[in-house]
Amino acid sequence: MKRILLLAVVISAAWHAHAQGTCATAAPIVLGDYYVSLVNGPEASTPICSTGGGGATAGRWYSYTANVDTFITVTTDLPQNSGIDTRVQVYTGACGSLNCFAGDDDSGSGNLAVTTFHVTIGTTYIIAFDNRWTDSGFSFRIMKTVPAPSINGFSEQFVNTTGYSNCIVDMNNDGLDDVVSVDNTHININYQNAAGGFTNTIYTTTYADYQPSWSMCAGDLDGNGYNDLVYAGSGLTFMLANDDGTGYTELSHPQYIFCQRSNLVDINNDGLLDAFSCHDVAPNVYYLNNGDGTYTWHQGGLGDTPDGGNYGSIWIDYNNDGKLDMFIAKCRGAQSPASIDQLWRNNGDGTFTDVAPEMNLGGYQQSWSSAWGDFDNDGDMDVMIGASSFSGGGHMLMRNDGNTFTNITAGSGYDTFTGTSIEFITRDFNNDGYLDILGGGALMMNNGDMTFTYTNIPAGNGPTGDLNNDGSIDIQNGNSIWINDGNENNWIKIITTGTVSNNNGIGARVEITSAMGTQIRDVRSGDGFRYMSSLTTHFGIGTDDAISNITVRWPSGIVNSFPDPQINSTITVVEDANSNLATAVTSTPVVELSLYPSPATNTLHLRSAQDFLGAHVTITDMSGKEVARPSFFSGSIDVSSLSSGMYLLKVDGASGTFLSKFTKE
Amino acid sequence: MIGKKSILFVFGVIIATFLSCRKDPPVEPGSSSTPTDTTATSPVVFNLDSVPYATLSHYNFFDGPLVDMQPVAGVLPYELITPLFTDYVHKKRYVWMPAGSKASYVSDGTILDFPEGAVLIKHFYYDNVQPSNTRRILETRLMIKKNGAWIFADYVWNDEQTEAYYNLSGSYVPLTWNDDGGQSHDEVYRIPSEAECFTCHKYYDQAIPIGPKPESLNSTIDYVGGAPMNQMAKWEAAGYLQSGYPANIETVAKWDDPNETLDRRVRAYLDINCAHCHSTGRHCDYRPLRFAWNDTTDPVNMGVCVPPDDPINPSQQYIVYAGIKARSMLYYRISSNEEAERMPLMGRTVRHEEAIALIGQWIDAMPDTCQ
Repeated sequence: MKRILLLAVVISAAWHAHAQGTCATAAPIVLGDYYVSLVNGPEASTPICSTGGGGATAGRWYSYTANVDTFITVTTDLPQNSGIDTRVQVYTGACGSLNCFAGDDDSGSGNLAVTTFHVTIGTTYIIAFDNRWTDSGFSFRIMKTVPAPSINGFSEQFVNTTGYSNCIVDMNNDGLDDVVSVDNTHININYQNAAGGFTNTIYTTTYADYQPSWSMCAGDLDGNGYNDLVYAGSGLTFMLANDDGTGYTELSHPQYIFCQRSNLVDINNDGLLDAFSCHDVAPNVYYLNNGDGTYTWHQGGLGDTPDGGNYGSIWIDYNNDGKLDMFIAKCRGAQSPASIDQLWRNNGDGTFTDVAPEMNLGGYQQSWSSAWGDFDNDGDMDVMIGASSFSGGGHMLMRNDGNTFTNITAGSGYDTFTGTSIEFITRDFNNDGYLDILGGGALMMNNGDMTFTYTNIPAGNGPTGDLNNDGSIDIQNGNSIWINDGNENNWIKIITTGTVSNNNGIGARVEITSAMGTQIRDVRSGDGFRYMSSLTTHFGIGTDDAISNITVRWPSGIVNSFPDPQINSTITVVEDANSNLATAVTSTPVVELSLYPSPATNTLHLRSAQDFLGAHVTITDMSGKEVARPSFFSGSIDVSSLSSGMYLLKVDGASGTFLSKFTKE
Repeated sequence: MIGKKSILFVFGVIIATFLSCRKDPPVEPGSSSTPTDTTATSPVVFNLDSVPYATLSHYNFFDGPLVDMQPVAGVLPYELITPLFTDYVHKKRYVWMPAGSKASYVSDGTILDFPEGAVLIKHFYYDNVQPSNTRRILETRLMIKKNGAWIFADYVWNDEQTEAYYNLSGSYVPLTWNDDGGQSHDEVYRIPSEAECFTCHKYYDQAIPIGPKPESLNSTIDYVGGAPMNQMAKWEAAGYLQSGYPANIETVAKWDDPNETLDRRVRAYLDINCAHCHSTGRHCDYRPLRFAWNDTTDPVNMGVCVPPDDPINPSQQYIVYAGIKARSMLYYRISSNEEAERMPLMGRTVRHEEAIALIGQWIDAMPDTCQ
C-alpha cells in the first residue's frame, strides 16, 4: 500500500516536473516521501535561511499547509541519498517577499539536510531546495515530529502572540507567570494553567497612542490588585487593569519621549509605583503617581545629560542602605559625554546624586543595558555592563567592594567573549545558586568564582519567567517559548506582596540563607533593555535541601523574616508592619508534581512536595490507552520500554491524584 | 575679532531694521524684485536679539500671502542634489543672511561656515491633500545662527494656511494625500520637538545643519526670474558665499538619476539619509557604519560584509550581505516601518519604495564576497 502510494507520488512528481520550478508554482504536498529528479527550476530559493550563503541559481519548490498545530520535519537524511549534498529553506509569506521560517544545510549525516519547525493550522509553508552545491536528484521526507528536540537544555514550544511579545508577568494573581503580548488595540494573554499549558485570551482595548516598540514594564500602578502594563514608544501609554483583571483601560500621556528602557518603581517611596523612562535625546523623565488616578510629569534629577544617551535604567540598592538607587547604561559614541554611564545614589530626601565617578563606574563604554546581581554571593550587588559595540571599550565585570567597584573583567570570560548586545540580564538558569548572564548570543554560566563559561543556547534574549512552574527559568522569543529542561537542583520562588509598600514589592531586597550562604535579589520591573520579565523572585540553591530563612526588606523600611520555608515551592510573603516575623506568609507548593528530564530516555524522575509512598502509577498514550503500569521507587520510573512520543502520567497516592504529560525520546 | 564682528553685526541689524521700516507698505505680490536679485536690499525683518519670533510672518521672508511661498529679495532658494526622504513630503529650502555677511567654504563635505544671523528656512508641505485636494503646508523649520551657535525654530501652520506659529513641542498631524498616480496615502505626520531636531542635527553637543555642504549644492538649478545657474556661483554672486572656493568639488550623485551608476546613486542616498547619524560625533557614532559621501568609497563603511553588532534576527548575517539583500540588516531596516527597527529612526514612518528598490538592486548586483 505504502509502496503504491510512493509510486503514485513519484509519477505525480514527474508529471509536475515543471510545476515546481518557482515559488509561484510550488507543488502542494502532504506528509510523505517525495523524489526530486533534478534541481533545475528557474527560481533559486531566496532569502537563504540556512547556512551556506548565496550562489544558488536553481530551485525546487513545494508548499505544505498545516492541518494541525504540530512540529514538522523535512529531511533528506535518507539512506538512498547517501553522498548527495542538499539544502532546504522553509518560508512563510507570499512569493517575492518570503520570510525565513526554517532551513538547514548540513545537519543530517554527510551533507544532508534536516530541519524541524512548528506549524500552525491553516498556515502554508513554502519549502524550497536549491542547487547551491549540486543539482543532483534526491528524495526527501516530510513528517510529523513530536516534540521538538531539546537543544542544550532548552526545548521549544509555541504560543499564540499578538504584536509585541515583550512581557512575562502574572496577570491573574494565581502565582503563575503568564505570557503577554500587545498591539495598539489588543492585549493577548496566555494564562499559564496550573496543570501545564496556557489558556489564551485576547482583550480589545482602546487605541494605544504608543506601542511598546522600545520597552515594556508591568506592575500594579493603581493598587487594585492586578498588574497594569506600560508601553514605552514615543511616549508612555498605561494599560490599567480593571478590578478583576478582565479588561484594560488606556491612559496615554501627551509628552513626547524618545523612550528606551522603562521601569515601574516607587521613586519617592510613598507606597505608590511611579513610571520612569530613559530618554534617548533629552534628560530622563518620570510620572509620579498621585494615587488618585492622575500622574504628574517630571523631567530632571535622574539623568540630565542634555542630549540624552540614556538606554538602560535599572533600579537596585548598590550600597545596601535600603534605598533604591538607579544605574543607567549609556551610549552615544566613544568620545561623547552622553555615553558615560551614571549611578544615581538615592539620598533618601527625594534627591539623587550621580556617584559613578567615585564608585569607579562610568566610562565611554557603549552600553544599552547592564546585569546587576550578587555574582559572588557576598551580600552586595555586582554588575556586568555589557557592550553594545566595542567602539568605546569591552564588556565590564565590576565587583562591588563596598566603597568602590573593581574591574575584574580580565580572566572572567567576558574579556574574551566577542558577542555584543543591547540586552544583558542575570538569572540563575541552572539553579546552582549563582547568577548567570544572558546576552550577546550566549548564556554565560557563573562558575561561582566570578568567572563565566560560554554556553550556546538556542534562545536569544527575551522576557524570562517560569512558564511551566518547574522552578527553572524559561525564555520567550516571539511566539517561541524555550522551556528550560531543568535539573535536580533545588530552588524557591518568592512572591512579594506589599501592604505599606507598593503592591508588587518592587524595590524590596529579598534574601535567602541556605547551607551555601546568603543570596540576595532586588525586585524590579524592567531589566535588560526591552523586555519585562517575571516579578516573582527566583533562587536556585544547588543541592542544598533546606533554606533556613527568607528575609524581605521592604521599601517602607519594614523587615520581615520567614524561617524554614518549604523548598521547591512558591512562597508568598506579605508585608507585615506589626511583626518582624512575616506571619502572613502563605506557602503554596504549586508544583504538585514535576517530571524530568524532558524528553526522557530510560528513566523519568518525579519531584514533588507530596509523599508518594505507596502510590499507583499508570502511563497512557495521548489517545488514553494505558501502555504501562510501572513500579515506582524513590521518585523514578523506568520508561525504557516505551516507544518515542508523548504520554500522560497518572499518580494515585495518599496526597491525591496527579496528572502530567511527558515525552519519551 | 569678536568685537569687530559684533560691531558689524549691530550695524547690519540697524540697516535691516531701517530697511524694513522703509519697505512699508508691502510690495504687492508679483511686483517684487526677483528673489534672486542680488542688488536689491532685503526687506527681511530680523533682530538677532529677538529671534526666534512668535510667527513666521514676522520675519517677512515671503512676499504676499505666506502660503504662496514667494521669497522676498535676499531669501535665496536652494536645493540639495539628493535630499533627505521624509515620508514623501515636499520641501522648499531657502537661505538668508544679514547684509554684508557671507558663508565660507570649509571642505567639499563640510557644512559651509555660516555667518552670525544666517537663517536656513525649510517648508514642508503635501499637495493633493484630501478632502479638498489642495496643498497643505505643515511646518516651516528654521535654523538660525545666533551667538555663534545654531538654534532651532519650528513654525507650525494653521489650518487656514495664513500663519505659522513658533512651537518646538512637537505634534502629530493626521492627513490623507494623493500621490501623482492618484494613490491615496493615510499618514500621521510628525512635527518634531526640539529634542528630535537635535537628534539628527548635532555634532556632539552642538546643533548643526545637515544639507548645505558644497558637495550637495554644487549643481545648476532654475531661478525664478533669472537664468539657471550653479548654486555655488549663485550664492557667491548674491554675496552669500566667500569667493575663492575650489573650482573642482567632489559632488554627490543625484540618487534618482538613471544615468548615474548604481553605486553612486546609493552612496548619495545613504549620505543624506544616514550620515547625519552614522558619523563621528553623531547619534549613532558607535556603530561601525560611516555613510558620508567621502567615506563610502570604502564599501566596509557601508557595512558590506560587516556583521551587525546586534542583529534583529539571526538571518541577518551582515549589515550588507553582498549579493543577498534579504539577509542584509541595512535592507531590513530601510524596509521596516516598525518604530524600533526602521532606519532612519526619525522623519520616516512609511517605506521609501523607490529607494528600497534601488538599494535592493544594488545589494543583489554585488558579487557574493562575504563568505
